[in-house]
Amino acid sequence: MSASVPTEQVPELAAEPRPTGQRRAGSYGAYLRRRLLQFVVVVFIGINITYVITHATPIDPVEQTISAATSFGSTSPEAIATMREALRALYGTGDNPVEQYVRFWRRVAVGDFGPSLSAFPTPVSVLVGRALPWTAGLLVVSTAISWVLGNLLGGLAGYYRNSTTLKLTGILAMAVHPIPYYIIAFVLLIVFGYLWPVLPISDAYDQGMRPGLTLDFVLSMVRHGFLPVLSLVMAGIGGWFIGMRSLVSNVVTEDYTLYAELAGVPRGKILRSYVMRNAIAPQITGLAMSLGAIFNGAIITEQVFGYPGVGSLLVAAVHAGDYSLVIGVTTVSIVAVSAAVLIVDLLHPLLDPRVRAG
Amino acid sequence: MDIRRRSLLATPIALAAARAGAQTTSQPTPSGLPPRHETLILENPEGTIRNAGWFNIWTINAGGSYTGLQQLAMDTLWYLDPEHGLDGIWENALAAEPPIYNADFTEMTVKLRPGIFWSDGVEFTADDVVYTVQTQVKNTAMRWGGLLALNVKEVSAPDPRTVVFKLSRVNSRFHALFTVRFNAVWMMPKHVFEKAGDPIRFDFNKPVSLGAYVLHSYDPEGKRFTWQLRDDWQRTTLGRFGKPGPRYVSYIDPGPPDKRVIAQLNHDLDVIHDVAPEGMFTLARQSKTLKTWFPKFPYAHPDPTLPALIFNLQNPMFADRRVRWALALLIDIKAVSMASYRGAATISAIGIPPTGTHPEDYHKPMQEWLAAYEVDTGKRKIRPYDPTLGKQIADMVRPANPDVPTDPALIARAFGYGWWKPDAQAATELLEAAGFSKRGSAWYLPDGKPFTVRVVVEGESRPVMTRAGTMIAQNWRQFGIDARTEVAQGAAMLDRRNAGDFETLIAWSVETYGGHPDLAYFLDSWHSQYVAAPGKPQAPRNYQRWANPELDAIIEKIRRISFDDPKVVEYGRDYVKLAVREMPTIPLMAYNVFTAMDETYWTGYPTIEDPYTDPVPNWGNSRYMMVRLKQRQA
Repeated sequence: MSASVPTEQVPELAAEPRPTGQRRAGSYGAYLRRRLLQFVVVVFIGINITYVITHATPIDPVEQTISAATSFGSTSPEAIATMREALRALYGTGDNPVEQYVRFWRRVAVGDFGPSLSAFPTPVSVLVGRALPWTAGLLVVSTAISWVLGNLLGGLAGYYRNSTTLKLTGILAMAVHPIPYYIIAFVLLIVFGYLWPVLPISDAYDQGMRPGLTLDFVLSMVRHGFLPVLSLVMAGIGGWFIGMRSLVSNVVTEDYTLYAELAGVPRGKILRSYVMRNAIAPQITGLAMSLGAIFNGAIITEQVFGYPGVGSLLVAAVHAGDYSLVIGVTTVSIVAVSAAVLIVDLLHPLLDPRVRAG
Repeated sequence: MDIRRRSLLATPIALAAARAGAQTTSQPTPSGLPPRHETLILENPEGTIRNAGWFNIWTINAGGSYTGLQQLAMDTLWYLDPEHGLDGIWENALAAEPPIYNADFTEMTVKLRPGIFWSDGVEFTADDVVYTVQTQVKNTAMRWGGLLALNVKEVSAPDPRTVVFKLSRVNSRFHALFTVRFNAVWMMPKHVFEKAGDPIRFDFNKPVSLGAYVLHSYDPEGKRFTWQLRDDWQRTTLGRFGKPGPRYVSYIDPGPPDKRVIAQLNHDLDVIHDVAPEGMFTLARQSKTLKTWFPKFPYAHPDPTLPALIFNLQNPMFADRRVRWALALLIDIKAVSMASYRGAATISAIGIPPTGTHPEDYHKPMQEWLAAYEVDTGKRKIRPYDPTLGKQIADMVRPANPDVPTDPALIARAFGYGWWKPDAQAATELLEAAGFSKRGSAWYLPDGKPFTVRVVVEGESRPVMTRAGTMIAQNWRQFGIDARTEVAQGAAMLDRRNAGDFETLIAWSVETYGGHPDLAYFLDSWHSQYVAAPGKPQAPRNYQRWANPELDAIIEKIRRISFDDPKVVEYGRDYVKLAVREMPTIPLMAYNVFTAMDETYWTGYPTIEDPYTDPVPNWGNSRYMMVRLKQRQA
């Protein structure tokens, strides 16, 4: 921990002149430019990898469409040849690869991923835009709850190490943490859907209800979202708890904490201002990463609870060979995760005086 | 709710869903849904529709098709029922009479039924037919565009009730494009589409209906579509069969199989499209209101589709028919039936599904020929057919299912007639005659390489067929062939099947009308003129890529006669005999669909005793159910 290391023992740090405000602003500007460039490069590479992988698969969306159209009805091999040609023109998959690639980037630059091939001609952006709020709502709420509760309880457990209640909480967190998520989800289904049937176990709201900003709809949404959120909180809280408890366990042994205790600073203030504040930085990074990953969707949650969202959209797209939709979902995820990391990197020097730009 | 927990303990999700469903039924109807007792609720096997606001069935993937759209809102010239039909298998729907061909099948005239109206009050006329055809001929990316462009040279409407098609080439089955077996070229409302601009990119929301129902509401998340009976239902082609029973019809995505079973046990889902055999057995044990196609085991409706072990005949390993026959004689069909359908399969040794009217036209009359059929192993001649295998399966499952029929006719109908009896010695002789050899416990190809066979199956997306493929691979492995299954699901499966990227495959390349003996529906596409070169995509349905001059001759004879010519049966039997001799695929069984119907709210579902249509609710013909269903009196 650099904050607790006496500078006399580290000559190079001690020798480093303290930056002036102007110099600090200048170095932060350079840092900002470098990070932004990294962000652009990472996003560009990520999207290109997705493009290459989806286009390198042997699955041909035109053949998938033809199969969908001819699975049950009358057909004729010659007619299919005609249809194949027409669909290639319609989907733009018959053009040469360079043209396709250039067209793809032109579209991506304006946030257009073209039409979904499995839900033609609905634009991919519309499908993703429709699914995202459900996933984001579900995961933001569950991540926020598990982060706040996990860190709070973990911090308390790390600091008040003799508390029986907090010890039990720790045991519970340790016990639940290794349980696979799908087991937790199924147990909740059985408990709250069968043994004590008070909650709905599928859909995002009651079928037949018209979505809108009405109390009935919001209540329905909360009822339907309760079990998915609870399952995610149960699965996620242990990680935050254990991580925070470990961090706090280290911080409480630091000299400044001991000095504060010896100086008679109230324990509550020590916990808030000295311990938690110093321990929380890595957890904020983790939170940002988790929030970025929200755009990946919660595939298992959405499948188990029949909840709409980006995860089930991605699964359906993969099964249908709809690579426009796969690229759309994946790109949103790449940008979101990269942006989350960027924001954390940019905020850290401002929030944590120990971190220096560059 | 009558749920015995002990039998449901095997399915935890089912347990969970059961009580939640019970709770749902005790709550007031959520706003927007019509009264339950007036609503027929069916499963939409498409699941969740991502672009729920699209109803343009003529553009591929532009919305769902089985949301009730094709069953309740669409119509076309003729229907051909896969079972026996309301008034015979053939129905003149929008057409007033059957198609009228000229002598050389280059022109077809259609007389239209008068007094049929779109749901917005506009009368249906010949102009709609002409518009439907011309629009899709111009837009070959539309669902039937390629077919219509290939066949139609000119279409005209000399008067509002007459349409004349001049064909680009001889086609005695052109009317099949407008004849619903599962679907067909649905009519487009000219007065709507001609104002819509690009017909491919038109959402057709709200759809103007030509059927007896009109869209009532839909869930934007694509899980529920509800249709309402038209006030003027008499002005539709269904009207002459009487007033449809359900005032509302909902097609829903009820979730995975366990949830479907529980939804029906709670009477929240009247018709399950399909469920795993185990789910059906649970329903049979626990539901007092269950109705199924067969009233007793095996319950399921055999679709006019024939799952088979499909060889890739462009693979030199299977070039010799003795090898294909050897592999057939290694299959224990009883084990395959038990593994796949838990015994609830309807087996078929011949390349025709044992369903609809086919058993009367083909299976039953050909028993004698099959029993006498001989295979020359190179050392001797054997008679491989065992006509009692259907009965043996019935006897095998009866101890666990006391309601299995005992009447031989019913057994033949439900379990099939016979199949090839396992004969490892004959298989050995056939393989040795083909140059294969056995060293130690393993078999080798004529070139000395190990005899390995991969069976492609669809994994969890089609578990019944996967279990069949796994059992077949096991049969072969026990004999010394290195046989393994490979899983290819969804898009990967379709891609490999079409590209010929397989050695063997569990799938179907035979689909028939079911209610009519004409086999052109699938057989025409088996002509060698359509067999793709290795590596190139093979158009449906000859996935085995079988090219045979004798088959071509049969197909060409069928092309020259009318659909209703009695000779179609004769030529059909010629095809069966040729396919038995050559064994291009190993036919297994009908595709049994475990459609489960609940009589809590509605009675009058189709069954084997009253086979007025196929009960499987995504078929276009399922609209007939509406006029036979009656609200159950409390």
